[in-house]
Amino acid sequence: MSEDGAGPAGSHRTEAQAGARKTALAVRGLSVSYGNVVAVHDATFTVAEGDACAITGPNGNGKSSILMGVTGMVRRKGGVEIFGRPAPNGDVGWAARHGLTLVPERRQLYPELSATDNIILGCYSWTRSIGKARRSASFGRAIDLFPELKPHLKQAAGTLSGGQQQMVAIARGLASDPKILAVDEPCLGLAEAVARRVYDVLASIHEQGTTLIVVEEAPKRALTLCNARVEVRNGVAGAAVAGAA
Amino acid sequence: MKFGNLLIAGLVTGSIYAVFAVCVSVWYRVSNILNLAVGDFAMVGALGVDNLYRVKGMPLPAAIATTLVVVAIFAFAYDRVVLRLAQDGPRRMEGIVVTFFFTFALSFFIDGVAKMLFGTDVHAAPALWSGQALTWASLHLERAGLLVLACAIMIGGAFWLYIRYTLGGKALEACGENAIGARIAGIDTRRYRWLIFVATAVIAAIFGIVESPITGYTYLSGATISLTGFLAAAYGGFRKPGRALVAGLFIGILEAMIGGYVSAQYGDTVLYAILAALVLTWPRGLGFESAVSG
Amino acid sequence: MSRLTSVPSALRVRSLGSAGLVLVAGAVIVILYGQAYTGSVVVLSACYAIVTSGMAVQIGFSQQIAFSQSVFMGAGAYGVAMLNTHLNMSVLVATPIVMAGSAVAALLLGSVVTRVSGLALAVATLMLPLIAVGYVSSTGFLGGAVGAPLTGTLWTTGSTTAVAVGGGLITVAFLAVAMFVASRILTSDIGLELFVLGVDERTAAAMGVRTPRRRLELFVLGCVFAALGGAAYAGTQQFVPETIVNPTSELALLIMLFIGGRRSVLGAVVGALVIQYLQGASTWVSVNILVVEGVLLTLVLLVDPEGLAGIVNTGVAWLRTRLDDRLPGALAGAGAGAPLASLDGASNAHGSASGAGEPDVLVTPTTLATLATPSPAVADASGAAASSTVPLLECRAIGKEYGGLSVLDDVTIALPRLGLFGLCGPNGAGKTTLLNVVGGSVPPARGQVLLDGTDITRTPPHERFYQGISRTFQAVHLIKGRTVLDNVAVACLASHKSSIVTRIGRSRLDDARDKAAQALKDLGMQHMQGREVSSLTLENQRMVELARALAPRPRLLLLDEPASGLSEQQRYRLADLLRAVGEVTCVFLVEHDLDLVAQVSQRIFVLSGGRLVFDGGPSEFRASPVVNSLLVGL
Repeated sequence: MSEDGAGPAGSHRTEAQAGARKTALAVRGLSVSYGNVVAVHDATFTVAEGDACAITGPNGNGKSSILMGVTGMVRRKGGVEIFGRPAPNGDVGWAARHGLTLVPERRQLYPELSATDNIILGCYSWTRSIGKARRSASFGRAIDLFPELKPHLKQAAGTLSGGQQQMVAIARGLASDPKILAVDEPCLGLAEAVARRVYDVLASIHEQGTTLIVVEEAPKRALTLCNARVEVRNGVAGAAVAGAA
Repeated sequence: MKFGNLLIAGLVTGSIYAVFAVCVSVWYRVSNILNLAVGDFAMVGALGVDNLYRVKGMPLPAAIATTLVVVAIFAFAYDRVVLRLAQDGPRRMEGIVVTFFFTFALSFFIDGVAKMLFGTDVHAAPALWSGQALTWASLHLERAGLLVLACAIMIGGAFWLYIRYTLGGKALEACGENAIGARIAGIDTRRYRWLIFVATAVIAAIFGIVESPITGYTYLSGATISLTGFLAAAYGGFRKPGRALVAGLFIGILEAMIGGYVSAQYGDTVLYAILAALVLTWPRGLGFESAVSG
Repeated sequence: MSRLTSVPSALRVRSLGSAGLVLVAGAVIVILYGQAYTGSVVVLSACYAIVTSGMAVQIGFSQQIAFSQSVFMGAGAYGVAMLNTHLNMSVLVATPIVMAGSAVAALLLGSVVTRVSGLALAVATLMLPLIAVGYVSSTGFLGGAVGAPLTGTLWTTGSTTAVAVGGGLITVAFLAVAMFVASRILTSDIGLELFVLGVDERTAAAMGVRTPRRRLELFVLGCVFAALGGAAYAGTQQFVPETIVNPTSELALLIMLFIGGRRSVLGAVVGALVIQYLQGASTWVSVNILVVEGVLLTLVLLVDPEGLAGIVNTGVAWLRTRLDDRLPGALAGAGAGAPLASLDGASNAHGSASGAGEPDVLVTPTTLATLATPSPAVADASGAAASSTVPLLECRAIGKEYGGLSVLDDVTIALPRLGLFGLCGPNGAGKTTLLNVVGGSVPPARGQVLLDGTDITRTPPHERFYQGISRTFQAVHLIKGRTVLDNVAVACLASHKSSIVTRIGRSRLDDARDKAAQALKDLGMQHMQGREVSSLTLENQRMVELARALAPRPRLLLLDEPASGLSEQQRYRLADLLRAVGEVTCVFLVEHDLDLVAQVSQRIFVLSGGRLVFDGGPSEFRASPVVNSLLVGL
């Protein structure tokens, strides 16, 4: 099955590789505007299942807006398909229920709730029962992936350091058991060592089979992890290309 | 013992203010709107039950149930029609006008309807637990007052359990902590907006039913209760239900003390003057931002 | 260009027009229908309209929500009643006395109450009607719950008809004067100050508006107008009911304001008329007035928060675009012929069709030469120190915490008179906080800020503006609904030290607009000066912000992430402009774009975790390992 069936701009891959994989995310003609300001303008790209795709480009050019439009956080024009199903406009819950979860820029945690509570709310997209959430595999996995958080789990999220907060945010994303995890600027404001740890975690998440989409300002760092890339300039997204590091 | 009795009376009304203040505070966190109509729902509860039971002859439990159901339906309808138009459409309204004036108008609307239906006299729901006031040493506690305290503790306790031990409760907290973060997790803020609004209306009506035998209500009584509950929430900066609760108790006790020791006639005047002075001398401490644009 | 400068004069003349219209129409109705029902409704409405026109200035236009009007209307009414019945004073003589007394009371109360603003102000004043009711109903000599009758009326000679008509005419005259005063204030340069104050108090302060003083002036204005309305009420109705001060009356006043149009003086008057007419229209309405008012206010808020005036404005604008399509250029001038149009200046500037195809902003360094001459005030201030070696800006050991977290820790920086200096760091490192400390909106917990050797650590933002500090913000903080020219003119106002009252006479808005036009011309932006700001592209909006910051010819320019949201091409242009600006003034620049910062800055500072970790030139910056690991991430 050719990936180009998803749209005009496909990734360039060998036929053999393309054969077995589904399209996780297909974006066609995506436009996002805030009032009169057009942030993203006719973006078209696809992400295959199992890929780690980086969205790169200078700041303020629309990278975050692409993710916001795709996940439904802001209203958009154009088509978005998650595993072949068309996503309704502006419905974040739908996207979460169908496998796409966003870890937003600047974390957006709940500062007065504990780290555990922040993480367990990631389960809200698939259950209302706190018991089920606690016992679920996704919650357990989310906690286990960050052993350095264990002593801080009962602490209010607002009192954690930047790096710890980023981990809580990723854990919250994982708790919703996503097939695609979209991470917006994971290393914003973090020191180098912490940023490397975050990327290590993202790498292991990727190895366990989750498709990744990472918005990253520093392309070199993103490409240590990602095997595909969408370059955004002036709100226009170039086709996803298989990029060598 | 005068002080003791004043304290008890103050605690009774204070617990009502406290519950209302928590309702206002929680709802503000979720919707960014201040509910200035809380007391009016209480008034409707009291006068509605009185009307159905005394005038229309319904049995008391039916009267109570009917009143509460009607209040719930009305609150739901208000959210669906008015608040949805104001906040959920493409032309989303924001700013201090929305925060205040919608429920300001609602409050007077409810008062007007009450006047239409129930007239202008003083009424009260029938006492749910009739009998002599309970006494111990020289302290008196009206039975209705005990009921009020019991309701406050039960409702407050139930809410606390909800917040701490259920996912839905944590989601509600999340809405108030970070609206963007809540959306990320798929939490629907709008749903909580009407849920809490309806819950507030019904809780207020319950308290009106339980407390009215002590004081008696007219169609205008709701306004002052709304204001006091609102003020108590203000003392929590509107965003901290815990502080709002304490503030509600404090105002209730202060009101009783001023009425008892300073002057029964000018009691309210002095109370409001003190409350206003507190807001003016200590706005940051009470949690107000120094400027609100809109 | 001439069209624009004639607009303000046209509006100021129109303020005479609306007041005149009301005066004539009111007078005619009173004379014709004096004693009849219509006449009495009009007169009663006029009393309330006096109050609401003050509310239009205070609450509608400047967004200072205070619930004090019913109380002061009561003060005016009761004051006149007491003077009349106990001291046998004629109503006409008592009125100015009562107004003066109210002004004093409002000053006292206001100086306490307006120490807070926004929601706190609303909450604090929410209790005023209740306090007043409690007091009035219990106080014997005011008549208690029964109310206070008067023996006299506004006009005392002649038959009953003459008395009624005379009183009515006087009331209408009062209203016309009130409307005139309100409109003159709103269309003056202080009117622009008030508008910005209402929309964004922080920006207003940063542009030099003396926000505490203006808030007090607005409070007093609203109260004095209310007192006049109350006096007229007492004089024409010959009776003061106790309900005049209660919350229901306050609500009624607010409804009148909102229905008519909260930012429009004429709208406020119409609103009063509508409500009074409704109240008398049928017994059912009168008895159930609470229901009617509640529904009406809700409907108005939903349909158009600007009320009838807003609806009319939208209609007129729609009509105008239809007509413009057919007869291009046939309708000249803003606000032609719309009777209920706001009299508050260019709020008729509805955005043009699209922002596409705007020519790029062209700047050459020579055009900035005029910006090199500092404005007179600033020149005076910096005169002696100009040639000395005292640094222009010094921050000494600045420290600041937020909720236990240290945001700034022992930060020391010195900047000379000219040049470009960059401030970088990861997010949350304290850059914007440092800018806020220098700008004055955030006081540091420790340390000092010195400008030219003078300690300004405790100086408020508007004072720092006068001393030559100007800034932009991270998010664009332009005033929507106003043109580019007006937005820049905000920074060119010379009215800060004047009292509101002076603007009834003379306005220097034209001067400010001329200065703004000149600043825009220097930056090559004159072609967009008539456009409404939200119709511009982001780059152009940032340019307008920059023009606004440059227009007062500051000594120190603080820029907060000016490149945010700009494309690469746009950043090249910005860099050129910044270099040109750095030759005429001192620029302190917070930026994430490291290439941009390294290109334009003479010296770069890096903050991390609130501490200064780097201070050096661009080449050292690029080579520094600390910087590379912190910021570049590799």
